[in-house]
Amino acid sequence: MPRQVAILFTVISLGVLLVFAFHAPDRWTVMAEAEPYASPLVLPPFGADGRGRPLTDYAMQGAHIVSLPAVVAGLLVTFLGVVGGLVRCMGSARVESVVAGLREVVGALPRMVVILVVAILMPLEWRSLMALAIVWALLAAPGAMDEAASVAGRLGGARFVEALRAHGFSRVRIYLYHVVALNLRPVVVRQGAETLMQVVFLEVALSFLALAAGEPSFTHNEATTKSWADLLYQGYQSIAMDVPSAHALVLGLLLVAVTAVAAVSISSAARAR
Amino acid sequence: MRRWWAQPLVRAVVALALPFAVPAIITLLIWALPGSPVSIICPGCDGAEGLAQRWNLDQGMVHFYTNWMGGALHGEFGNSWRVVQGVPIAELLGPAIPVTVTLILLAMVPLFLASALAGLGWIPRQLDPLFQAIGLVPAMVPALVVYAVIALRFGANMADGPESLTAKLLWGAIILGITDGALSGAIVGTRSLFDNERKQQYVVVAQLRGEGVLSNTLPNVAGALVGQMRGRMLHLLSGAVIVEAVLRIDGLGDYLWRATLMQDFGLVLAAATGFALVSGAILMLQALIEVAVAWHQRRAPVIPAPGVV
Repeated sequence: MPRQVAILFTVISLGVLLVFAFHAPDRWTVMAEAEPYASPLVLPPFGADGRGRPLTDYAMQGAHIVSLPAVVAGLLVTFLGVVGGLVRCMGSARVESVVAGLREVVGALPRMVVILVVAILMPLEWRSLMALAIVWALLAAPGAMDEAASVAGRLGGARFVEALRAHGFSRVRIYLYHVVALNLRPVVVRQGAETLMQVVFLEVALSFLALAAGEPSFTHNEATTKSWADLLYQGYQSIAMDVPSAHALVLGLLLVAVTAVAAVSISSAARAR
Repeated sequence: MRRWWAQPLVRAVVALALPFAVPAIITLLIWALPGSPVSIICPGCDGAEGLAQRWNLDQGMVHFYTNWMGGALHGEFGNSWRVVQGVPIAELLGPAIPVTVTLILLAMVPLFLASALAGLGWIPRQLDPLFQAIGLVPAMVPALVVYAVIALRFGANMADGPESLTAKLLWGAIILGITDGALSGAIVGTRSLFDNERKQQYVVVAQLRGEGVLSNTLPNVAGALVGQMRGRMLHLLSGAVIVEAVLRIDGLGDYLWRATLMQDFGLVLAAATGFALVSGAILMLQALIEVAVAWHQRRAPVIPAPGVV
């Protein structure tokens, strides 16, 4: 994908998600605006649910639930990836050993298992997607740090910094511009974008499964907010039970696709020229 | 210089320690978090003192851990509190572990095949965007479609019974093996490993001597390949929780999910330990393969360089 196209896709997809998130209604709409399962032609732009409430509210509230935690998790992974690359450039064997040890321990367990254990242990008042997103980011960080460190290693590590110092560049410029902005950027931004996407998918998966089991979600208060998982859950009934809610399924899948496109286009926009 | 056996030894030690470390960390967390251990394990439960006594939480974390671990070593994990009330957890998880292991092994088949073909250079690079696009699909979406198809094929009641288990395992394995970046990761990861190794001078020299490329590169990339495979198996184990929960396969992941939802702490602790056991076994396998690779490399004849005494 050419960079200009990637940047355009990034702006559009992230723009859609952020506009939805910031304009999401605070409370769940109780009033019906149309017939049950009204199609997008009857109630534009997305149609209605089984009680005649607009699906737009689902899309917006879902974006509101995921946007901040996903962005925070993505930024955290990006930051820790940068740290991993800079540590390699500093040439500190001891710090590198500590990072490698952490990676071995953190990487030894499946992420979803850790997430579920954290979810059950978290006090009820702390339960939110933000907490789970941060845990997910911390679990993803060793991989990002490792990849960034290997990029910095291929660059020459501490010798690269020394060589640029010999050319008269300041340390700040070398680390922030030459190492991070020019060389680590493609890797750490891709890792961050992937984490952003994974957190959104994590929320949808956890909320969907909780809905299917008739239990409360770990990620949001279902009484006041609806997730994208609600769209998929309603839409799924069109496949499994012949309920006329296929438009909810299409919208749910569309939002998942927009998230994936956002992640891919962010990675493509940040790749090296 | 670093000893060749240091890394496999560390892996073996971590593999043995993992099933003990996971319940220890969970125990530590219960006591580290604000609030009493009973309120964390069972929020909103009445009769905290009685429950603390019943679950061995009343005499501190060391007592709780040693008691639970002592029982676990004898296959005694207590009874399920909520998921299947009163049924011994060992009876639930005993058959669940082989189911999850089967699912993971089946899901590894497409990954092994794709890795082998990519290593041999038989998968065109032009197809990479296609595999990457497939890899963007979250496992839950195809799993839902498959569950709907299975429910239609077997009927709503039979879909959750043993009759459909084989179909669910096969479909679950296919979903796990190709979605969430598993297949694209296997192809791109293996290919880049071999590409980098083929650029080494010894490979060119070996080719000039009429030797095969693969026979020279494989022993040297085997360690990294095994490392990648272990990463992928862990990724599959993580995805197995979602796939098992959606397809209602009675594996470790499904029990862990249901126990988390229903606050069945005893089952969560046991299932997490089960996952640690499987993960430890994978780590141990990696250590053993690394030893085998190092042993194979050391069997190669040492040819002294001319002029070096």
